[in-house]
Amino acid sequence: MEKDVVLEVKNLSVAFEREAVLRGISFSVKRKEALAIIGPNGAGKTVLFRALLGLVPYEGTIAWADNIRIGYVPQKFMVDRGAPLTVKEFFLLQTEHFWMPQKEFLFHLEHELRLVGLDPIILEKPVGELSGGQLQRLLVSWAMLRHPDVLLFDEPTAGIDVGFEETVYQLIHRVQDERGTAVLLISHDLNFVYRYAQKVLCVNKDMVCHGSPQEVLKPEELARLFGSGKLYLHEETKG
Amino acid sequence: MEISLSQSFLIALAVGLASGSVGAFVVLRRMALVGDALSHVALPGIALALAYEFDPFWGVAVSLIGAAFVVFWLETKTKLPSEALVGLLFTASLAVGILTIPDEEIIHSLFGEFPLMPAYLLMLIVATALIATAFVFFSTRRFAFRIIAPELAEASGVKQTNNLLFLIVFAIVVALGIKLVGTLLMGALTIIPAAIARNVTRGMKAYIVISAVLGMAIAALGVLVAHSFGLLPGPSIILLGTSLFIVSLFWSVKV
Repeated sequence: MEKDVVLEVKNLSVAFEREAVLRGISFSVKRKEALAIIGPNGAGKTVLFRALLGLVPYEGTIAWADNIRIGYVPQKFMVDRGAPLTVKEFFLLQTEHFWMPQKEFLFHLEHELRLVGLDPIILEKPVGELSGGQLQRLLVSWAMLRHPDVLLFDEPTAGIDVGFEETVYQLIHRVQDERGTAVLLISHDLNFVYRYAQKVLCVNKDMVCHGSPQEVLKPEELARLFGSGKLYLHEETKG
Repeated sequence: MEISLSQSFLIALAVGLASGSVGAFVVLRRMALVGDALSHVALPGIALALAYEFDPFWGVAVSLIGAAFVVFWLETKTKLPSEALVGLLFTASLAVGILTIPDEEIIHSLFGEFPLMPAYLLMLIVATALIATAFVFFSTRRFAFRIIAPELAEASGVKQTNNLLFLIVFAIVVALGIKLVGTLLMGALTIIPAAIARNVTRGMKAYIVISAVLGMAIAALGVLVAHSFGLLPGPSIILLGTSLFIVSLFWSVKV
């Protein structure tokens, strides 16, 4: 594997019950790089993440750099409302010291919570009592807690307030710069893709395009990815 | 104290503690009914042991651990609705047990009794219960992680084998209590303390600790009550636990 490459995917295919969900996906991600994954609903973007994490069987090769630490923010996370688990305990699931957490860890935790705009007061609250927005912030913070080398974000800003959307993007940008974190991000937000991503991967079962946003986010490419509806709208606004 | 009572009291303390700790995860996994039915599988084991004249404890242990593998297999390898199959398989083994266990043994097999066992077996049961409890506390993070966020757990390297480990420990704890509490009621001893603890706690640590302590207290008190009033220990323990559960509903911390 080339130096600085944290992930190399070659000819990846995933099928459920013999029906192809993803076919022939190849790309690589370097340190500090942000790769945006775009595509219509049901295109297999989340499945791609699940394959990368080893949660679904696949064909082809997925090679992570050695000893890599991965942070993952899932698109959906359901917690049982009555589950006896405080926010602090939810974070402690990541450590070997569940029963007797270390002081430094708790200190670090408060710092990380403030980064996503959460008040450390919620540490003692049950996870099931958080609002949707708080839970989303919590998940982002949870994924970043151990300073992963790679972050996988599945629509980190879907259904949350605009203020936090900006915070998430700034955070992503910051960890890229300060910690050299590579970011893989599924997004519907082409504005973000343009502003923050160095590479774009378009997926619609097959790999439709791969390249820099300037190369990829052109009307013809988007039309191939999303179908002619998009193209029609685009031309209408132009004319 | 007579030997049978002191033996029962010791078993109740140790097995109650283990049931409370392992039961916390049974309830958290929403497999209370599966857990309840799991204990029925012990009956054919008892029948075999009686027919071939070895100690029923071993028959119980082997059939329950076998059942743990069946549950794991249903959960992971098949797409069949596991509750329906578990209900069917485990109830069938109850039927087999009823037909094969001699009449004079059946009531005690189902509802427990004050056991009189050789010292080595008593020591084995108490020691195993304590080890199982320690193991559950040691594995809390992994067990809880797999239940609460299975995908995040998998991505963090907490693998599915933890589910199997959990089921095996659970089966062992049930096996330990069968003699005293009975095959029909032992499953309930794992669920009641956790159900009470869930009503009165908000965090995981408190939930598990309180469940373990309650398991110990309910089983030990139940044995004393049963002995004073000349009742079977199994039903006394379960009714005492259920009464406590009803009380706990009144100061439930969750609205």
